[in-house]
Amino acid sequence: MAARYDRAITVFSPDGHLFQVEYAQEAVKKGSTAVGIRGKDIVVLGVEKKSVAKLQEERTVRKICALDDHVCMAFAGLTADARIVINRARVECQSHRLTVEDPVTVEYITRHIATLKQRYTQSNGRRPFGISALIVGFDYDGTPRLYQTDPSGTYHAWKANAIGRSAKTVREFLEKNYTDESIATDNEAIKLAIKALLEVVQSGGKNIELAVIRRNQPLKLLESKEIETLVAEIEKEKEEEAEKKKQKKST
Amino acid sequence: MATFFGEVLSVYSRAVEEDDDDLDAENEDEQIHREIEEKREVHIAWCTEVAQSLEGSGSNKLQCSDLIIAVGPNAAGFLSAYVLNTESWDAVGHASLWNERSRGSSRQSIAPLPGEPACLFYRHRDNPAVLVCQSTCYIAEDQLFQWTEKVFGCLQKRGLSVMVLSDSPVAEYKTPDYLYGSAVPFLRSLKSSASKSQALCPALEQPNILTGLPAAVLSHCQVHQIPAVLYQCYTDVISPDSITMETYKPVLLCLSKLVKLEPCLSADVLRKFAIITEAQSNLYT
Repeated sequence: MAARYDRAITVFSPDGHLFQVEYAQEAVKKGSTAVGIRGKDIVVLGVEKKSVAKLQEERTVRKICALDDHVCMAFAGLTADARIVINRARVECQSHRLTVEDPVTVEYITRHIATLKQRYTQSNGRRPFGISALIVGFDYDGTPRLYQTDPSGTYHAWKANAIGRSAKTVREFLEKNYTDESIATDNEAIKLAIKALLEVVQSGGKNIELAVIRRNQPLKLLESKEIETLVAEIEKEKEEEAEKKKQKKST
Repeated sequence: MATFFGEVLSVYSRAVEEDDDDLDAENEDEQIHREIEEKREVHIAWCTEVAQSLEGSGSNKLQCSDLIIAVGPNAAGFLSAYVLNTESWDAVGHASLWNERSRGSSRQSIAPLPGEPACLFYRHRDNPAVLVCQSTCYIAEDQLFQWTEKVFGCLQKRGLSVMVLSDSPVAEYKTPDYLYGSAVPFLRSLKSSASKSQALCPALEQPNILTGLPAAVLSHCQVHQIPAVLYQCYTDVISPDSITMETYKPVLLCLSKLVKLEPCLSADVLRKFAIITEAQSNLYT
């Protein structure tokens, strides 16, 4: 059935599927994992770093990009599509500032990106964007926000979410471990993001990239040393937990 | 034609006759067909030792208790990494053939270069009844029967047991349920009716079918009542990949009963066999 209705984007199948859009979601799963966490005074984006070829400049292979001083996004999926979406979003952020003399709200720019993506699921001759994005930032009233968009052009607000390969595993981890206690402080929120990524990242801290935005502060990319320190802390906590459990069992 | 007066008349038939003046064209056609057939013939070349033991045995057949065939780059990579990595395997032969996709060397005596798509046979030194075949070249539909007949024609049928490992793209797997990303890659099995062993994974569900070399081998085993089991790995990557190769690991349980395997394998060895396309492919981030 799918074979006859999955070539053209503008054709619905008899059971209501837009197969090209659904296949675009599969393209997203080919990108490495990205996780976003909304804390109380901080928003965190963590990504699994792609292995870079020896002669390639590492800093040109970035999954986390700033859209404006107070908004940034991480994506998973086709790199080239992401570049186009990011450029359009950046232009829109500045255009908004000049027109209404206010920085964009996170919801506004997310809606702009989602509308752009939706347009490509309806006009003929153009395939959908093969990326999902996690957009984080603070609105000018100080509220932290996390939104997720997908190739169909839908967007939703989340407390914590993951996209890309193994996103399901990470989301299940977050569902179990995202509590008010776990995001009580900035450091705890960052550690939660790292813990979530460690569930699926193979070689530990050196393959993780982390970015945070604190209220009224610009985007900050954590250095690998800081990440290694946090990973070491997490491992220590895990060991202590395991010790406690052992002791409980033996008594 | 017989008439009422008892005479026989010869009647010219209006049916087209086999004319003599088309003989040249026919000969030419026949010649072309013959040349194509020769070109597309499958040749199995054994090493001198095996060729001698074939001639020496009365029935021109090799003693073989277990034949393991790997079809596809991931299956072949799995065998290379987990089974053929010890020093106790000898390369004993190769199959050479030509088709539009597999322009193999038509010089049958020359063994294919390592890394080239090919069809290679290995035999275990300590247990010479165990044969492994790695097939990474494309065998056309018209050559499959020939390949199967020629290979199985060299092997003793009695006591033979066959295992086939084959790769397939998951896009060809038909199922009413949605396949989550974490489920892929996965194994499915298919057995000939003579096979009494327990398969290590669920059986291939309808309406999925096998095609190509695995299907030809399994059909042959079914017809000749040879116990055979096939493990098909459905994967979503095009090139050889370490995660897909690891999916075949349950098979090691059966293989370890036949030959001694390396106890544990570092991930680096596997990665050697997987093409490292990820670093070069910037398509997905």
